[in-house]
Amino acid sequence: MSDLGFAAQLAEDLSPDDLRLVLKVFHADVQRLTGALADAARLDDAAAFRRAAHGLAGAAGAVGAARLEEACRRAMAGGETLGTGLAEVTAMADGALGDLAAFLARLGPAT
Amino acid sequence: MSGAARVLVVEDTPTQAQLARALLAGLGHEVMIAESAGAALVAARDWRPDAILLDIELPDYNGFELMQRLRAEGITTSVIVVTANASINVAVEAMRAGAVDFIVKPYAKARLSVTLANALEKQALAAQLSAVKARLDRNQFFGFIGSSAPMQAAYRTIESVAASKASVFITGESGTGKELAAEAVHRASPRMGRNFVALNCGAIPRDLLESEVFGHVRGAFTGASADREGAAKLADGGTLFLDEIGEMPLDMQVKLLRFVQTGSYSPVGSSRLDRVDVRFVCATNRDPMLEVQGGRFREDLYYRLYVVPVELPPLRARGDDVLLIARHFLAQFAREEGRAFTGFSAVAEQALAVFGWPGNVRQLQNVIRNIVVLHDGDRVELDMIPRAVRRAAADEKAPASAEPVPPPLPEPVPAARVVRPATEATAEGAAGIVGEAAAEVVPLAVMERRLILAALRQTGQDVPRAAALLEINPSTVYRKLQGWRAEGLLPAD
Repeated sequence: MSDLGFAAQLAEDLSPDDLRLVLKVFHADVQRLTGALADAARLDDAAAFRRAAHGLAGAAGAVGAARLEEACRRAMAGGETLGTGLAEVTAMADGALGDLAAFLARLGPAT
Repeated sequence: MSGAARVLVVEDTPTQAQLARALLAGLGHEVMIAESAGAALVAARDWRPDAILLDIELPDYNGFELMQRLRAEGITTSVIVVTANASINVAVEAMRAGAVDFIVKPYAKARLSVTLANALEKQALAAQLSAVKARLDRNQFFGFIGSSAPMQAAYRTIESVAASKASVFITGESGTGKELAAEAVHRASPRMGRNFVALNCGAIPRDLLESEVFGHVRGAFTGASADREGAAKLADGGTLFLDEIGEMPLDMQVKLLRFVQTGSYSPVGSSRLDRVDVRFVCATNRDPMLEVQGGRFREDLYYRLYVVPVELPPLRARGDDVLLIARHFLAQFAREEGRAFTGFSAVAEQALAVFGWPGNVRQLQNVIRNIVVLHDGDRVELDMIPRAVRRAAADEKAPASAEPVPPPLPEPVPAARVVRPATEATAEGAAGIVGEAAAEVVPLAVMERRLILAALRQTGQDVPRAAALLEINPSTVYRKLQGWRAEGLLPAD
């Protein structure tokens, strides 16, 4: 099941061009913030890890990527090691990006 | 509130910010994004948004602190907190901190639209309420000091009529501020960028009144050596204030009526018809209807000018305004005279409050100036108040006494024509006295006394105006008067 359920709602609320722009920004956020998470985990910097996870949770929440958002919030809660948290978030992020690509393909080319 | 609003989005996550921007733009609003609380504070100050969409977790300090800082700066823009599902408690806390509503991520356009519309409506209602409260509670209005009910009514009338071109007729006893009211009508109107021309019909010789109002051409009469514009021309696009309109001779009233009806007039000595756009404000301290009934004022002119009446109450009917005005003048004169006064003793306030003030605000102003010039201290004590006021105030409390109250001060005779913003004051009267006295050589002190008393007579005992005519400080006049009284050259007050 897609992790971008809410994007369907956004497709009703926004013009295709606006939606594409939002999803493009989301794509950039996911790449930037998963990179920041990986850096923080490598450096064992819990504060930086939490900040990046919070940002990624916000971005995921905006477009309704619920599973990615939940993973980020679990990672922020800090019950696991940073490495475990990172692995779960990265997996969910990959899934969300895959769903995003499929969703964009359905939207068709930009005008 | 309907139509486009300015919405500040405080959000450090680009996806959230971009989504909010797209949704709000789609709703027709103007959007600004702030990525930190500090940037939001600056934007709220400079951009003055109608609503703020606020994420709580921000890189510098959190949204709660931002709301506190906004309030501390007096910024009352409606704040809507944006929160994730997991943080409803945070939203409740935000509402307690002053947010008007919250919205949970992810939000659809319809939800955002409703939440924002509610917040904007709340904001508009709060602004209206605050404006109404300010109007009802205001204690200052275009130079007037006073919050009493009759003054609030006068403020409201002035404010309501200002935008129209309707003629205004101001009535009130001497010293109640009729010229101030006329200026308020002008300054609150769209004509405020043009001239306010005040003409005192009682101060102008009847032969010259027509020329003062309509101007004249060269050779129109003896001494008319050049063309001169009248008050009507100077007030074109602005306001013409005809003070003491009841003093206008009947033949001049006919010419004024034609001018009021048509907006056109002929300068004295010319057959040319000039047309101007003038708003008329008139004033009298008499009952205008009685003047009509007595045949001293044309009925048709009365109905042309008496469109919106503004009645200025006497000071004795203004309750606590007496003390409000007294404190205002005390602070002003203490500053001007370098005195330490910061207030009145309770008994001094009581004396001022119960006195009848027949000369109204002008008399109160003179009394306070007198006190400040002749005394110093932290507080004004009862014995610093002129005896006449104290005596009459005591009589008010003990009505059996038959001591006379000091007579009201006569209406001062202002410069015949005053054009504002140009500050042009005529000193014709004083100049005449100098010319008359020049033939007689008398001791300088005698001449000084004569001049000061003449200026006081001419201005109806208005010390500040007399001092202005003489180009000296009012405190000098007060000191001189006190000295002459002590020497027995003048009767005691």
